[in-house]
Amino acid sequence: MINPNMVPILDPNPLPAPYWVFKLLLVVTFFLHILAMNFVLGGAVMALAARWRSKSNPYNNRVFLDVAKKVPSLLAATITIGIAPLLFVQVLYGQYFYTSSIILAWPWFLVLVFLIAAYYGFYFVSYKGERRPDVAGRVMLLSVILVLIIGFIYSNNLMLSQVPSRWAAKYFAGTAGWNLNLSEPTLIPRYLHFMTTAVAVGGIMLVLIALAKWKQDSEYARYIFQFGGKAFMYSTMAQFVIGIWFLASLPRDLRMLFSGDNMLATVLLTFGVIGAIGSIFLMSEALRKENIRLAAYVVSGITALVILSMSVMRDILRDAYLKPYFHPQQFAVKTQWSVFPLFLVLFIGGVVLWFVMLKRYGLFTTTKATDQ
Amino acid sequence: MNYPVWDVAFGAGLLIALVAGLHVFVSHFAVGGGLFLVLTERKARRDQDAALLNWLKLHTKFFVLLTVVFGVVSGVGIWFTISLISPTATSNLIHIFVWGWAIEWVTFFIEITAALLYLYGWDKLDPKLHEWFGWIYFIAAFASLVVISGIITFMLTPGTWIDSHKFWIGFFNPTYLPSVLFRSAICVALAGIYALITASVQKDPDLKARIVRWGARWTVPSLAVLPLLGWWYIREVPAELWASARGPMPTGTHFALLACILLAVTFVLALLAFIRPGRLHLVFSLLVALVALGAMDSFEYVREAVRKPYVIDNYLYANSIYAAPIPGDGGFTVDKINELGVLQAATWINDRELTKDNQVTVGHEIFRVECQSCHTPYEYRGIHQYIVLRQWDPDKVRAMLGSLSVMHNGVMPPFVGTEAERNALAAYLSSLQSVTASAAGPADGKTVFEQNCSMCHQVRPDDHLFANMPSDPQAAADALKDLTSLFPLMPDIKLSDAERQALVQWVNTQRHAPKTSTVAQGGN
Repeated sequence: MINPNMVPILDPNPLPAPYWVFKLLLVVTFFLHILAMNFVLGGAVMALAARWRSKSNPYNNRVFLDVAKKVPSLLAATITIGIAPLLFVQVLYGQYFYTSSIILAWPWFLVLVFLIAAYYGFYFVSYKGERRPDVAGRVMLLSVILVLIIGFIYSNNLMLSQVPSRWAAKYFAGTAGWNLNLSEPTLIPRYLHFMTTAVAVGGIMLVLIALAKWKQDSEYARYIFQFGGKAFMYSTMAQFVIGIWFLASLPRDLRMLFSGDNMLATVLLTFGVIGAIGSIFLMSEALRKENIRLAAYVVSGITALVILSMSVMRDILRDAYLKPYFHPQQFAVKTQWSVFPLFLVLFIGGVVLWFVMLKRYGLFTTTKATDQ
Repeated sequence: MNYPVWDVAFGAGLLIALVAGLHVFVSHFAVGGGLFLVLTERKARRDQDAALLNWLKLHTKFFVLLTVVFGVVSGVGIWFTISLISPTATSNLIHIFVWGWAIEWVTFFIEITAALLYLYGWDKLDPKLHEWFGWIYFIAAFASLVVISGIITFMLTPGTWIDSHKFWIGFFNPTYLPSVLFRSAICVALAGIYALITASVQKDPDLKARIVRWGARWTVPSLAVLPLLGWWYIREVPAELWASARGPMPTGTHFALLACILLAVTFVLALLAFIRPGRLHLVFSLLVALVALGAMDSFEYVREAVRKPYVIDNYLYANSIYAAPIPGDGGFTVDKINELGVLQAATWINDRELTKDNQVTVGHEIFRVECQSCHTPYEYRGIHQYIVLRQWDPDKVRAMLGSLSVMHNGVMPPFVGTEAERNALAAYLSSLQSVTASAAGPADGKTVFEQNCSMCHQVRPDDHLFANMPSDPQAAADALKDLTSLFPLMPDIKLSDAERQALVQWVNTQRHAPKTSTVAQGGN
């Protein structure tokens, strides 16, 4: 009866829809969540960098304020979207996710405390940044540090959730939940890989702000275009070092997934690499020619697709890590036909309503008007 | 057992109480406050009350900063916390109600977007459109309550879901409707209470009075209907659940009483604010909020308390053992674990070999997987305090472990495992506080009763002990020699002759006393 691999058994309730439905929802909502998270962290880092250099150029304080004002709503989006992958990861991977969370219980719990503090910090900067830029800069720094810590805890937990063989030793060494997963060789490169993407997306955020101000406030728009575009380029270049480090840190059989063992993973990685190189060149071209449309539409689009492909790769990697334990066939499936369609209808209705709300609010018209 | 147990030194239950207790107070405001915002906006525009409108803008900011930040993160926080403390229950609830959670997510997403657009739209949108956002916000927030209530009430009263395993049967369970209405009334009441807070700092006394009167009009009637809705709610809770909240461990009834008292105090305070609206001070408004928080959390605590020993009634015990075998239970049922032994059945055990020398350490492991979801060694619901109170020596501890399921009107799951494992657990528990068996024992009958009987028996004429004990002292003392022969679930404790005689004598005096007195309870 003793369960040798320590992986908890599933609870008795069947999946209320086919496996692939949850897998799709998990990957798609995770992608949207991580995208929003990248805007929060990247935007906050950009704002901080601008504030840091506020003496070198008078525009920098404006960049700081412009970006900082958007961060709280983006954080709201990150958390709100994040509920969905949190739900679906529990549906499919609860056995792993709960266990690793318990082993890291206190850091995991502290995510909540740090998040509330960072969130109020962002609101403080958004509301008081103009009148008290010095204090706001320091608060922003604190909030960014807290978000970086939260990211680090997430990396710790989600990595541990994929390696059940490490659980027992870690748990029994300290059942009080004060563990981290620092001995994990992929932890640091993986974490840096995620965080650096955020900086690149922060750069994209500035490019998008530049696009919105391109006509009405041309000089400033050109300045932040350069600011954001360069941040994007340098951070994406750094990804080549970090990405290779991450890949090299993976166990050999998992690394081979991306070099031919798994066709989809290989194609996605190739696409990611080509997309990243291409976007660096295109961004450089766009900066040189001051072609904001190229940067805002093409480079952003490529970046979004690269992040999507990374999200799928992340999922493939997780399943590869869990291969000895996790098999989709283990789930009993009994589709709840009396509820599932209701969700779909409400979901589609909700998305439509969401767009209608944003449109009626005028979120789309502002960009269009200035763009034309 | 299936999952590792997080050893929270001060008590896992307290952590959930902290997160959930604060969350509900904000999340209910998030619902009622939405309706309050939109109706107050309409009123201010109709009355062309610019001052009220200006205050409402500030109140919206307060509302969003509180609900969207603290409310949302603490809501996710409950999820984090329950999955750390009750992963099996969480996993069950996730799988049973995935689509319920997913629907709630959709409403939540709309709710948060609408809240932000309503806040940022104050100076930007035309009034009609702004109000439209307010209505969308409120409807989405209320829908979120309507959905989540189905899952929360399911835990207390799953009803016939236990047999059918059908989503809607679990969702529309016996306490669903009263709970939704009860919580809706709380939402409306809280909308007014929070308005008092921001009103109290207004400088213009006329404006302050207008807001306070308006806010109190939300709070006072809602509080007045709460007892009625609460009565309906309670009526739908099965009697056997309430039974466990009475008697020797009346936590549920104590908190129900506390909830009623604090509700009444909130009512009086809100009424006072209404009578003297211009004089409302910030401290007073915070006092109203604090008392309301106490009332609300007491209510939530009652719900949690009466559910014991289950986390999902009749389905899953608080320590993650299934109440009855079901396909896919993995053997985590009482019978199966009794058969195999907990050391063999549980996944998260470090040392499975029980020897003469490792009784205490292995007993500690058994304590962790079986007891620690509710108890701690020394802190919250601490075993140490309990043993000090009852003065149980190791033999008694061991004996009492066999009767857990009948103690305190059945608020605990039974001990599961083998005899050897029970001995090991007793060895560990006894190591927390050393009590040596005294040959003479306490001579005082009342003390004997309190230390050995009061976990199950009450000083009441209809209690078995008082109703059925033979009136002849010697016959009674003899009958108490072998308790398990009286009732198999009684603990096999051996009282000394002196103790039995003292107990019989004291029971007889109580039986013949004109009015029964209540023996002090303890060990909560």
